Amino acid sequence: MRRMTTTRRAFLGLDEKRRFMLALIAPAVFALVCFQIVPIITGANASFRDWALHDPKRTWVGFKNYLYVLTDPEFLLVVLPNTFGFMAASVGCSLVLGLALAVLLNRKFPGRGIVQTAILLPLMVAPVIAAIMIRWMFNDQFGIVNVVLDVFGLPPIAWLTQRWTAFLAILLTDVWLWTPWFTLLLLAGLQSLPPEPFEAAQIDAATPWRTFRYITLPMLRPVMVVCIVIRSIDAFRTFDIVWTISGGGPARATEVFSIYAYVEAFQFLNFGRGSAAAVIGAVIIVIFAMALYRILNRWVEVSK
Amino acid sequence: MTTAAAARAPQRDKGFFEALAPGGRRVFLGLAAVAVCLLFAFPVLWLVLTSLRPGHGVFYVHRGTEFTLENFHEVLSQEIVLKAMVNSFMISTLATILSLGVTVTSGYMLSRFKGPIPNAWFSLIYVFRCVPYVSWVLPLYFVTRALGIFDTYWGLLLPHVAVHVCFFSWIMKGFFDGIDPSMEYAAMIDGCSRWGAFWRVAMPAAVPGLTALAILCWLYTWNEFLFALILTAHETPILTVVMAQFVHELGMEWHLMSATAILSLGPALLVTVFGQKYVIRGLKV
Repeated sequence: MRRMTTTRRAFLGLDEKRRFMLALIAPAVFALVCFQIVPIITGANASFRDWALHDPKRTWVGFKNYLYVLTDPEFLLVVLPNTFGFMAASVGCSLVLGLALAVLLNRKFPGRGIVQTAILLPLMVAPVIAAIMIRWMFNDQFGIVNVVLDVFGLPPIAWLTQRWTAFLAILLTDVWLWTPWFTLLLLAGLQSLPPEPFEAAQIDAATPWRTFRYITLPMLRPVMVVCIVIRSIDAFRTFDIVWTISGGGPARATEVFSIYAYVEAFQFLNFGRGSAAAVIGAVIIVIFAMALYRILNRWVEVSK
Repeated sequence: MTTAAAARAPQRDKGFFEALAPGGRRVFLGLAAVAVCLLFAFPVLWLVLTSLRPGHGVFYVHRGTEFTLENFHEVLSQEIVLKAMVNSFMISTLATILSLGVTVTSGYMLSRFKGPIPNAWFSLIYVFRCVPYVSWVLPLYFVTRALGIFDTYWGLLLPHVAVHVCFFSWIMKGFFDGIDPSMEYAAMIDGCSRWGAFWRVAMPAAVPGLTALAILCWLYTWNEFLFALILTAHETPILTVVMAQFVHELGMEWHLMSATAILSLGPALLVTVFGQKYVIRGLKV
């Protein structure tokens, strides 16, 4: 900076540029710092202390809370596999379904407007409402799903009191909620593809499936990458629907990471441990998101 | 596949789609469309049905014959529900306006400039976008209390804006990436200031994208639960939290909760139906 002051008049453009850049992001920085960074730092501070509700002293204990979480078998053997498994399953299913629906909606057919509105319905419903509805539908005495099973002569299933069936219900909720989001973004992507490669493929008499696989899919990859990364990050942080449907499952079997942190902080009333779990999860997801972004970007580059 | 190769190749396998005559294809598409509609609309229709059953009728929702509007009557007569609807609407609208205002400049900066400052800002946003809400929701309670804005509009608006900054700056950057910067350079050569170039040249071109984002942002804030739960109490009821209050120790009052949920869906439906055209148009990069 000092070097530039003497030649300031010549480099006036550069200085003004920096000031403009900073001015553009000033309000965003203010909001971010006050209402996200400061609370996170406060939370991180709590994670290094022995802070239980009954114990007003918040003594510094270093990494004790972190060690506890990282060696907790519940965390390592149940919560982490649950969270990553849920993330992979939900994003995978939503992507495939969303892609199919986007391709469907890309053609004109009578009633297309109605289908489009129906598909967008889940986006309007609050996740908590959807979770409550699914919980009601899978109720083992009065739920509609068991009623349908009964009609077919099958025995009723206790959906929400067993680990894997509860997981299925949670997964179903998430896919129901987020497939429309994928559909919207992929449809927008499909509609902005250039028509020339498709015309060329038609001239070459390629079947629709081959056109889809070798032309449409590679061109859609950038949009798909953004969708996958964003949705993966959000699936990792899921709290509302898991909490509403199973509360962490029979004996903590369907706990995902956010629930684990919440349970430590608000049920075992150990805020230090809960904050430590939250920080560990944050670090995991940040590293994972960066890795995912890089891998997928390389995939996009290769396809070009 | 060149035409020569196609001529030499044996008869192509007919895919399932070509095997159907054009009429059959349309029927297949129609059936698929109906199936999809039903699958996605079913839980919502179930919700509507439950809200029309009387209190004791929730246990035979599909078999019962009584329909009643009494649930809506009962729910709307509670002052807290009316207040919550107004609050939710105001918060959603204000949060959308504020967030868009703040993130549009942020996205523009990320798109048009290169160097250490934009890189640092992008990394910051990306990192904080990944942080799970549970990590900062409790401290946020203490922060808003300390600032004296707990349980007020500002106490909910500002954290929402902070979250939206991370969500939407990236998407805004994408929009501005798709707009050719040469127009702005031309304007600046003609004597326009940087801000003028942004405000008068880049912004109008970004309006479709902004409309799409405004609708998504409004819907997201309208349905948001966790922040509303932690950051409000009696002064500022919010609709999503009020809905959850029908859960008691004795069991859930499904009929009342469904009625409130339908009331919550109403504005969201209007916004979606009105805006879906703009959302799709605006998301085209």
